[in-house]
Amino acid sequence: MSFQEKNITASFVIFTLILGFYMVRIFQLVQSGSFNLMNMVRLWGTVIILGIVATIIGTILTHIGSGIIQAIKTREEPVIEDIQDERDRLIDLRGTKVAYFVSSIGVFLSMLTFAFGQPSLVMFSLLIFFGLVAQIIGDISRLVLYRRGV
Amino acid sequence: MVKYRINNHIRKLRFFHNEMTQQQLADKVGVTRQTIIAMEQGKYSPSLELAFRVALAFEVPLDEVFSYDPETESN
Repeated sequence: MSFQEKNITASFVIFTLILGFYMVRIFQLVQSGSFNLMNMVRLWGTVIILGIVATIIGTILTHIGSGIIQAIKTREEPVIEDIQDERDRLIDLRGTKVAYFVSSIGVFLSMLTFAFGQPSLVMFSLLIFFGLVAQIIGDISRLVLYRRGV
Repeated sequence: MVKYRINNHIRKLRFFHNEMTQQQLADKVGVTRQTIIAMEQGKYSPSLELAFRVALAFEVPLDEVFSYDPETESN
């Protein structure tokens, strides 16, 4: 598995966990009757900050983990291929295209709920939900392309 | 259904060039070893620029490294 694949796997795990956290938190807010704008905006902020921080930490840990595993395997100083070549860029581009497609459908569906008379809070919570789903599906498609070929 | 239309002889050429490793070829043409592996397995068709760099690394014309099989297209 290349360094890029490990990074994408880490991103996939991180965003799946964040999506899980987000769903549980929304469920808790609805259950406790405190599903209001203030809490929703706070949750938005938490999810965005979590996404940024976890991605940075995930990348660093992947770097360190790869180095340790490689050093144990080869018993030499690890050389990590963290350069992005044309194949990596092509796969990244295709993954982003898939993510944008899912994201666009998500935005459309979110707007649709608003158009059909649902409160704006539902629309905002769906927007971030589809944003996370788009990221996860983008990561899956990148991993599939690495395995299947482009 | 067409899967891979561009064939290559990279593995054979590496063997005839003092058993050049995938890493050595990757370093020569400026890509990762995984890209060389993907090319050898027919899972990646390189850009024209990379194809020329590979041919240059083996000091052979482009058509000695890559070939296009029209029969694969009709199957």
